[in-house]
Amino acid sequence: MTERITEVAVGATRTEGGTRTRSYRIGGASALPGMGDAGSRPLVALEICDDPALWPAVVLEEVGDLAGDLAGWARAAEEWWNADLVRLVLTSTRRRGFDDPAAAGRAVEEVLAATGLPLVVEGSADPALDTEVFRRCGEAGEGERLLLGTAEAERYRSVAAAALAYGHAVVAQTPIDINLAKQLNILLRETGVSHDRIVIDPYTGALGYGFEYSYSVMERVRTAALAGDADLAMPMISAAQDSLTVKEVREAPDEERAGTAVEWEFYAAFAAAVAGAGIVCVRHPRTVGVLKEAVADLWEGAGWP
Amino acid sequence: MKALEVYKLLPKTNCKECGFPTCLAFAMKLAAGGVEPERCPYLDEETKALLGGATRPPVRAVTVGVGARSFTVGEEIVMFRHEKTFYHRPGIMVCAADTSPVAEIRRTAEEVRDFVVHRVGQDLTLDGIALRCESGDPDRFAAAAMAVGECGDLPRLLIAADPAAHEAALRVCGQFLPLIHAATTENHAEMAALAKRYGCPLVVRAETQVKLADLAAQCTAAGAPAVLLDPAPRTMGDFVARASHLREHAVTRAAPDLGYPLYLDTVPLGTDAALAAGILRYAGVIAVPPLPHPSLLAALTLRQNIYTDPQKPIQVAPGIYPVNNPGRDAPVLLSVNFSLTYFTLLGYLEAAKVPCYLFVVDTAGLSVLTAVAGGKLDEEVVKKAIEATDLAGTVGHRTIVIPGFAAPLSGRIEEATGWTVRVGPRDAAEIGEFLETETEG
Repeated sequence: MTERITEVAVGATRTEGGTRTRSYRIGGASALPGMGDAGSRPLVALEICDDPALWPAVVLEEVGDLAGDLAGWARAAEEWWNADLVRLVLTSTRRRGFDDPAAAGRAVEEVLAATGLPLVVEGSADPALDTEVFRRCGEAGEGERLLLGTAEAERYRSVAAAALAYGHAVVAQTPIDINLAKQLNILLRETGVSHDRIVIDPYTGALGYGFEYSYSVMERVRTAALAGDADLAMPMISAAQDSLTVKEVREAPDEERAGTAVEWEFYAAFAAAVAGAGIVCVRHPRTVGVLKEAVADLWEGAGWP
Repeated sequence: MKALEVYKLLPKTNCKECGFPTCLAFAMKLAAGGVEPERCPYLDEETKALLGGATRPPVRAVTVGVGARSFTVGEEIVMFRHEKTFYHRPGIMVCAADTSPVAEIRRTAEEVRDFVVHRVGQDLTLDGIALRCESGDPDRFAAAAMAVGECGDLPRLLIAADPAAHEAALRVCGQFLPLIHAATTENHAEMAALAKRYGCPLVVRAETQVKLADLAAQCTAAGAPAVLLDPAPRTMGDFVARASHLREHAVTRAAPDLGYPLYLDTVPLGTDAALAAGILRYAGVIAVPPLPHPSLLAALTLRQNIYTDPQKPIQVAPGIYPVNNPGRDAPVLLSVNFSLTYFTLLGYLEAAKVPCYLFVVDTAGLSVLTAVAGGKLDEEVVKKAIEATDLAGTVGHRTIVIPGFAAPLSGRIEEATGWTVRVGPRDAAEIGEFLETETEG
């Protein structure tokens, strides 16, 4: 039995109750790319953050002053680098002693005001902060159909509650394991988050640092879904977020560092798209263009009847 | 055919020349369709044909080149690497045009021959040189083939539309058994004759599946010893779609004349994306232009990743790993033997440049969170690991930093081991900042 991947709405335009200048429906595939109807073209998200202290140096060198200007960075993601989505990583919440969840909400508002692109928000990583941070972010983006993350097996209630209260979708992350991914989707559904509001994040290791496991888990999740497992039939998001701190990038000669960073992100993100990811996230602005071009090419491939 | 039936047809001498420890091991591999009967040098033609028909891998093996640098592609049996594994990584061959100065062609070949990157215990290398006839002049093509001569047995790929150009080049480098591209509906009789005369593998190129199968059948019937398929993609996306289609036909054994490795020329298709696509989706030989170092490094790393055995446990060996040349007073950081945790943590520790010891304990390959939840990481595990290693002799202190997610165990670890326990961050990205603060304090 061939099934179809559930469609998930990301972003909301004025007619859809939000203020985005565009919105997307990801998913819809009934096959892997190149093997039939692969659904909507994968979206390329550029990641930005509200506290650059924890951000890769190779990106900070590229973006310069924008690193301290969240609105400018978000605007550049849309206007200069032509990303499909902005993913805001609230790195400020990772600082020790962080105690200002309202600031996280303000960061979301600032980015929403600066760009018309739909927004993925990566909130806190600490259960003690989750409730307030997710509530503030959810509230700030009410009506905008954010993709809010990250839900994990031990801490999914806060993000689920914020998504339900303010009408968002949820990123559900599990550590490279198809069964854990399925289990978390079931937990989220029992909390009231419907299947068309879940995006699976199977966790992506950096190229050369575990990427092979992530690649195969994505293929397994997708083939299981297409074989009829409804609890895995959601679109996937992939962010090889450690790509730019690997040894190859750090130790590249100065004149090759940016190029190595872009290639490291590109190869993993493109491979994730081949494995069925519906959203691929990168941090180096120059990866966005080459990746979009490659994904468009992949999607227009003509096979044989 | 079952493994035991196959075994009865083998010499049963366990000579190991096929690369397997025993005839039975070889028989089991044959029966699974993962290897060619030709690996056994002692089978007569009749037995080989019998075994070949019954056990032939759905994608036949093809060897390119001679000697130590020769490589084999094909013998693949699955669509997805998680179903079994991908056996023979694609050969990446770097192009040079015969219109370039001879010295430049030679330099490209030497660079290809000498390129090597050491990664996690493996040498990543390029596989050969591709000569493209752009002059239309057989003599010039032969001169280019001659220029590569000094590079010894580096595998060659000859790309020319005109059989006369191939003939001229093969006269000077035929002994290296180059791969020749390509037999088409127009020239296949001459190309197959050349492949037969020189014993070279031959690429057949056609726009449709029917024509490809026809060409492959005609060329093998005419004596071409081995065949690769070029589905003539106009774009990278075409290649992915057609390669997937061909692989599916091969592994389901739906069309024996399509059961050959695939050929991909990335030059007209946009290099990085096409190279990545070929590695991920079934290419056997990939022709590329000379690539900048960052592209090569990423591409070879992707190939290494995709062609590792997916059934290999995701684990690193437990033990003490010194990072950034630590001394006896350097901090000890406990972690688990899930290789992804290890590599991620190692990346951040190396970036932080703080000397320390990574103390990896055996949690059966589980991550910190799952190991704590599943009881694979507890005070007993830590105690045994400290006793089993020389941690106490390695450092001059008795303090251990545990991952943030293992915080609930801190008291029990202190009681069981007598070591002071400090709780580190949950996220590896924060380890640098944590260590800096700790070492300052």
